[in-house]
Amino acid sequence: MSLLAGQILNGIATGMLYALMGLGLSLITGILNIPNFAHGALFAVGAYLLASAAVAIGNFWIALLVAPLGVALLGLVIEYAGIRRLYAAGHDYQLLFTFGLALILSEAIILIWGPVGYSYLPPQALRGGLDLGFTFYPKYRLFVMVMAGLLVLATWLFLEKTRYGAIMRAGIENKEMVSLLGIDIHKLFTVAFALGAYLAGIAGALTVPIRGVNPGMGVDMLGIAFVVVALGGLGNLLGAIAAGLLIGVAQALVAGYWTEASTVVIYAVMAAVLLVRPQGMFGIR
Amino acid sequence: MSQLKRRDILKMGAMGAAAAGLGFPGILRAQQKEVVMLGIWPNTGAFSDVGPILDRGMRMALEERDMKILGRPIKYVTRDSATQAGAATRRVEEAVDGEGAKFVVGPWSSGVALAVSEVAKRKKVLHIFSGGTEDISGSRCHRYSFQWAASPYTAAKTVVDAFMKANPKAKRWHLLVADYAFGWSVEKYIKEVGKTHGIEFVGADRHPLGEREFSNYVQKAAANRPDVVAMINFGLDAVSGAREIFNFGLTPKIPLIMCWSSGVEELVQLTPEIRQNIWVGSNFYYTADTPVAKAFVKSYRAKFGNPPGYAPSAAYGMTRLLLAGFDKAKSAEVQDVIQALEGIEVNDLVGRMRVDPRTHQTLRPFFFMRCKPKSAMQHETDFADIIATGDEPLPAQYAACKDIGGF
Repeated sequence: MSLLAGQILNGIATGMLYALMGLGLSLITGILNIPNFAHGALFAVGAYLLASAAVAIGNFWIALLVAPLGVALLGLVIEYAGIRRLYAAGHDYQLLFTFGLALILSEAIILIWGPVGYSYLPPQALRGGLDLGFTFYPKYRLFVMVMAGLLVLATWLFLEKTRYGAIMRAGIENKEMVSLLGIDIHKLFTVAFALGAYLAGIAGALTVPIRGVNPGMGVDMLGIAFVVVALGGLGNLLGAIAAGLLIGVAQALVAGYWTEASTVVIYAVMAAVLLVRPQGMFGIR
Repeated sequence: MSQLKRRDILKMGAMGAAAAGLGFPGILRAQQKEVVMLGIWPNTGAFSDVGPILDRGMRMALEERDMKILGRPIKYVTRDSATQAGAATRRVEEAVDGEGAKFVVGPWSSGVALAVSEVAKRKKVLHIFSGGTEDISGSRCHRYSFQWAASPYTAAKTVVDAFMKANPKAKRWHLLVADYAFGWSVEKYIKEVGKTHGIEFVGADRHPLGEREFSNYVQKAAANRPDVVAMINFGLDAVSGAREIFNFGLTPKIPLIMCWSSGVEELVQLTPEIRQNIWVGSNFYYTADTPVAKAFVKSYRAKFGNPPGYAPSAAYGMTRLLLAGFDKAKSAEVQDVIQALEGIEVNDLVGRMRVDPRTHQTLRPFFFMRCKPKSAMQHETDFADIIATGDEPLPAQYAACKDIGGF
């Protein structure tokens, strides 16, 4: 019983990170209408920025604040200097651009930080574990669970309860209509890309004390982020959150009882849901 | 300046004809003399971090000989195995057919190596590999493939015997095993040797290659309340596993054994805190006390700054063994070199080595280390001490290579 509870906790912690990734990707995919192949690379950049900033500044918390903002800034530059120039050229070019960008960022990581990964321990206050009564659980994972949950909630509140959030959601539904209402659609695209990049960056940053950093970490996460978006429904933010949690918990439970299938289950769940609902769990298109 | 006369032009024409008749075939002969060696290394995909350093090791062994063997130039070509059987076999075939490669070293994954081994057999080229599958020199042995790494039995025997000698009461073991050819082979013998020590395997979970989320495996391991967790995985899988085992508070309270590790390449990715109470089995560690290892480590450090781990050392060692085969054969023909390698004895990188002519398994030492606490580290890469070496060969009752076959 305590093992089962522990596995579910693991599933929620990783599921929350998947949800953050999926939420960012869903936002970008929904508004810009292109699959962002560089999303995994942005996750990796967030992780590396955190590790470097934490060592340079000597403070994990400041690094956690700064690193995702750095990724958001990078996202802003990518949209403004790259993707924006390709809107007229069509989707194929934007898609190829993000694909090329992913390769460039991956190679840049190797050039800057080297091909060999490394570990970074959680901050002193979050080292060790807590006895939850039914299981002993690492403090840092509990922190990730709470932090990622708050971020998901904050993003959802921003999109649901603020005026700009409503404009973004409207942009996902119908860009032409939003544009005709006199709203600067290009600014909307830039903000959406920067916000998506921020979410990828903070997911990467939060992952560092758990998974360390290595140049391949973005590729590992990209596939899962796409599964989350497809499973939740293209452009559906609530769907991305639910799908992230579903994938995380499914992976944890399967790893607990049928370890060999722990990776396959991610794609099996997606295939099973899409067979029944091709538009995803919450999707309408 | 004198003008060219008709006779001069005729003379030049005659000289040109002579050059065409004699000189050009001479160039052709020189090209035929070239010995083409292929390094099939993972430059993309899983293990892509290891490809470039494998290349370094092979290149260093060839450069020691000034890229020549038996007076003939060596042409060293490389291809990306991508850690995919399909890509690797296609590229090896292309290098054999297109470049004339006759000697193939690599790749790095056991599963991919077994596929490359089949190509070597079909194309009749010599193949040498270093990895954890027992099948290359076991059930799928043939005349063209050789195994440089220690047999999984030798590794298991060294690790279990040495660990139990230091920790005689640690009898409850939980295993974490990579779910492919290498993991299965080593797991089998860890369990066999474990029986002789009365070890109880309280759990054994297999994980996919490339697993990054180890929390679930670690919780299961913790629930079994083992005295020891032993991992039979490699590269980033091993690094991710060791990190999570520390995060969940298992190490340093209980020991973690990395049964078949790349040593330096994995240990450098862990912090000293995580490395506490980690015990490591490996085919090479850079403090190995042999003249060849000392010279290699010195030269590698001078070139690249850090000490070599198992990967570059294996590439270096395999290439040296291959070249020793040429020396013994006094021939660069594939079948002559194979016959020379069969039964060859050398005192090389890891000490005394002999290639078993019946199986093509290299009989050689395997190393067992214990990681040092931070306070005992003399320098940044002073990760561990070698506490034992073992070279017990696979007992006859386990030998699956019944007939190595003909050419």
